[in-house]
Amino acid sequence: MKKEMIRIENLKKSFGDLEVLKEVNLEVHESDVVVLIGASGSGKSTLLRCINFLEIKNGGRIVIEGEEIDPKSHNLNEVRQKVGMVFQHFNLFPHKTVLENVMEAPVMVKNQNKSEAEKEAKALLGKVGLSDKADVYPAKLSGGQKQRVAIARALAMKPDIMLFDEPTSALDPELVGEVLATMKELAQEGMTMVVVTHEMGFAKEVADEVVYMHDGQIWERGRPDELFNHPKEDRTKDFLSSIL
Amino acid sequence: MFDLAHIIDVLMESYPLFIKGLWITLKLTFVSILIGTGIGLVFALFKISGIKVLNWIANIYIALIRGTPLIVQIFIFYFGLAELGISAFWSAAFGLAMHNGAYIAEIFRGSIQSVDKGQMEAGRSLGMTYGLTMRRIILPQAFKRALPPLGNQFIIGLKDSSLASFIALNELFSIATTQGSRTFDEMTYLIIVGLYYLILVLLFTLLVNLLEKKLSAGE
Repeated sequence: MKKEMIRIENLKKSFGDLEVLKEVNLEVHESDVVVLIGASGSGKSTLLRCINFLEIKNGGRIVIEGEEIDPKSHNLNEVRQKVGMVFQHFNLFPHKTVLENVMEAPVMVKNQNKSEAEKEAKALLGKVGLSDKADVYPAKLSGGQKQRVAIARALAMKPDIMLFDEPTSALDPELVGEVLATMKELAQEGMTMVVVTHEMGFAKEVADEVVYMHDGQIWERGRPDELFNHPKEDRTKDFLSSIL
Repeated sequence: MFDLAHIIDVLMESYPLFIKGLWITLKLTFVSILIGTGIGLVFALFKISGIKVLNWIANIYIALIRGTPLIVQIFIFYFGLAELGISAFWSAAFGLAMHNGAYIAEIFRGSIQSVDKGQMEAGRSLGMTYGLTMRRIILPQAFKRALPPLGNQFIIGLKDSSLASFIALNELFSIATTQGSRTFDEMTYLIIVGLYYLILVLLFTLLVNLLEKKLSAGE
């Protein structure tokens, strides 16, 4: 049995009167790629954001690598070092060069010395295919390049888990492929990943498990071939036929 | 009345006096803006902290400063601080700093809030603390955006420093009024002191524009 990286039990989250997550249960094992799909407003992004505590849950348990995390007593900054995140809108730091973006957290948070951090940052930029862009400011990059820098920046903290919140939704169609290729490579290296996406091709090819969310709940989950080819729930069938 | 030759004559003979006043005006402006910027930053952070007590403190401070005339504030500081043995220069500097601080706080608050919320989230998601993200990620971007209104506030601060003449500080404006009443040639001295302020403001505007250009390089 593979190590359990994330365990979520009865997770609840509301924004005011709006119940966004209702008793969600999910577990993610080491090296697994779990893809969350569902209509907008189904709670998939909120679920992702609860995992690294950008949103604070209203109820339930979140266990990261065997340790239950209580946002009141735990140092969330340490938890977040283990859980990297990639955003839909990249959120690169516009006043820093690509290299500085990647080096920022290792130097400022982990107190890594600069020359070492620079070496590692350059290696990561090489890995995402952007060695030649190290000294460029984000504004000069295409969307696909920005997102690959964002992935390198998250990886620089050497996380055990990577969360992707619709990483290709803000991209022009011709730029989606390069980002998905980077993510696929990461999955093949054994990174534990939770991905919110509308890219069903990626889900079919890379995911170990696909989770369909509807109305703040996990409606159906299964291996990609099962869920895509033989969905059990009518709701899942409707959703899949609406997007495929 | 506008005898240009006469104005130039007076300008040439009075400049040693005015240069002394100019120096005091510059010192006063520089010190009060520096302290005012610090005060403004602190209160801006109070306002966006989401902590009720800090919010209240900032709101009361800003309401008091914006709701009363600067000349009243300067006199209150002057009489209040004189008792503690603080000089007219420093009372004026603190008074002007507190005054400018309230306006600068609002400028900083606006510019901090104009930075995309995703920047804070990105910093936090990398394990950076709120303070570290604020210092390294948000404030550098906010400061750049604050620069044009900040430059404007600095110009106001420079001109407002003339009110320090009321507490017997020998800055630019008080040189003009004393010389004017001594020679019964008030208008000439007022025109001359106006020119000094105008040149200072123009030089300052140039400086702010240069800084803006420099900061926006690369992006």
